[in-house]
Amino acid sequence: MLKYSLKRLAQSLVTLLIVVTAVFLLMRLLPIEGYFGDAFDKLTESQKEAILNKMGLLDPWYEQIGRFYKGLLQGDLGTSTIYRKDVPVLEVIAPRVPYSVRFGVVATLMSIIMGLAMGMHMTRYKGRFWDKTWTAYIVFVSSVPSAVYLLFVQLYGTSLFKVPLLFDKYRPSSWILPVISMAIVGIAGYAMWMRRYMVDELNKDYIKLARAKGLSDSAIMIKHVMRNAYVPMAQYLPAAILATVSGSIYIESLYSIPGMGGLLVDVIQRQDNPLVQALCLIFSSVGILGLYLGDLLMAAFDPRIKLTKTEGAR
Amino acid sequence: MASTTPLLSVRDLVIKFNLRGQVLTAIRGASLDLYEGETLAIVGESGSGKSVFTKSFLGMLDQNGWVDSGSIMFEGKDIAGYKSQDEWRRIRGKKISMVFQDPMTALNPLRTIGKQIEEVLELHQGLSGKHATLAAIDILSKVGIPDAQTRHKQYPHEFSGGMRQRVVIAIAMACKPKILICDEPTTALDVTIQAQILDLIRALQSDFGFTTIYITHDLGVVANVADRVAVMYAGQIIEQGTVEELFYDPRHPYSWALLSSLPQLGIKHEALYAIKGTPPNLFNPVQGDAFAPRNPNALNIDFLLEPPDFSVSPTHTVRSWLLDGRAPRLEPPPAIKALKAKYERSEQ
Repeated sequence: MLKYSLKRLAQSLVTLLIVVTAVFLLMRLLPIEGYFGDAFDKLTESQKEAILNKMGLLDPWYEQIGRFYKGLLQGDLGTSTIYRKDVPVLEVIAPRVPYSVRFGVVATLMSIIMGLAMGMHMTRYKGRFWDKTWTAYIVFVSSVPSAVYLLFVQLYGTSLFKVPLLFDKYRPSSWILPVISMAIVGIAGYAMWMRRYMVDELNKDYIKLARAKGLSDSAIMIKHVMRNAYVPMAQYLPAAILATVSGSIYIESLYSIPGMGGLLVDVIQRQDNPLVQALCLIFSSVGILGLYLGDLLMAAFDPRIKLTKTEGAR
Repeated sequence: MASTTPLLSVRDLVIKFNLRGQVLTAIRGASLDLYEGETLAIVGESGSGKSVFTKSFLGMLDQNGWVDSGSIMFEGKDIAGYKSQDEWRRIRGKKISMVFQDPMTALNPLRTIGKQIEEVLELHQGLSGKHATLAAIDILSKVGIPDAQTRHKQYPHEFSGGMRQRVVIAIAMACKPKILICDEPTTALDVTIQAQILDLIRALQSDFGFTTIYITHDLGVVANVADRVAVMYAGQIIEQGTVEELFYDPRHPYSWALLSSLPQLGIKHEALYAIKGTPPNLFNPVQGDAFAPRNPNALNIDFLLEPPDFSVSPTHTVRSWLLDGRAPRLEPPPAIKALKAKYERSEQ
């Protein structure tokens, strides 16, 4: 088990390295005009060159990336170059972390709880009214672009629940819509997987044996079906963090929540490289950590994985 | 046959299924007596209804199936009329148990062997904790699992196919049932293991004195283990009798065909006999003898009227018009005569 978890940890770190490097290089491919914003036309060539030189953008790319990782190892993520000039990156991000974490945690919990419950409900009434209703919901959420229904939630939600259109940290009711928006996709995903795994288990032979033993339907559901369906579900549970993180990027800017997601959209547009890099590092760490935890959870639940010590069973 | 009053008595059982709005009659009036301590084999081709028939003794028909008419008398009660799961749960695993075909999938992969046995002990015998554990270990060693002390803490994937089937048998046996139904218990196992499992069931039967029903299409297994045989075709029991009667003096044309399709030891370079045609579609009502369209020697009446049960001996009944006094005498096919001749030689 220890060997397995260390191996998966090493793999996760490699993944993280690749993601961060890719983001770093992509930022360097953007046109240099972006670094000057509206001031582009007013500056002379030599002024522009001086600014770029100061940001270190005229050095070869491998020197730039070497500098970035050297700083990272010393815990220095650099300073903001454009968004809030010369302020350390961490100082810019720090006040925004609590908002994102709070929204992320609440939305994740909500999608796990409601998604699993919906999945069980669907299995219970398989092929009947509720199963079909929730399936329609899942199909809708997964096929319609999220921007469309998220706008509808914002539009009609405000009048329906009498809550503010935008986030206001002094009014707790303004939390409702962003949390619902973040959870909508997660709930659908969990419900779909939960139903699928439970139906899978229900059709297995050992359920027949359990019935032949004389167990009641509810005992079979709780002791056998649900317990076994949670094992493949376990790897999706922390992955929800990933889904919420990616969802938050759009939703935070939609509701003007002063979190990290909204900030990321902002700084990518303004090409503040150190901030983009730092935020991507944080977001991908959280996501990769989620996947890692998912694998560990599954290994902990499934005795077959411990023994073989391979991840082939995924 | 130790006693004359049957332990389980099925009369004119009709079981129907609803499949997408169409009604299929899977069991069309089957009657059967099961006597204490005996081993009964139910044979028949796929789809003849042998599994459905025995599943109805446990109330384990699929959701879309129901007992339409007929009775199943067990311990003085008509269990065919049981509606609630609570009533059935007093029988399942306690009075009547079942061993399934495929031991690789019959056990929950995520619970230890011990827990899966204890579950049934807790349910029916009220054992718990250490008592249940000890009882489970005891049962494991009884079904021939060495080192049961450590094995009971292991998971199914740590067992071979044969060992898993022993565990399934242990679960079925745990509460000392009256009847053990074995639904093709050896089909998924290789030949050497098959023999071991059959021996085990036989040994347990003489130790615990339960009654066994084998469901199989392996006539070799039947000859090996059974006292009596019932042949099923299209949802009816068309012939039943002792093993000797069935193998050496079969009377129904379907039994002839079935036995003719057995490979004979010592006969080489000859194509195996195959029964032509397919069984009737049970979505439609069957007129006359269900086997008539596949029977080259069918009588005219076979297409018109359903035959009743004719008795050949007190233990041997056949559902075929051939046994009627007015029917022309029909010689059994050569393969059956050869079997009979072999048997008579061995008797002398």
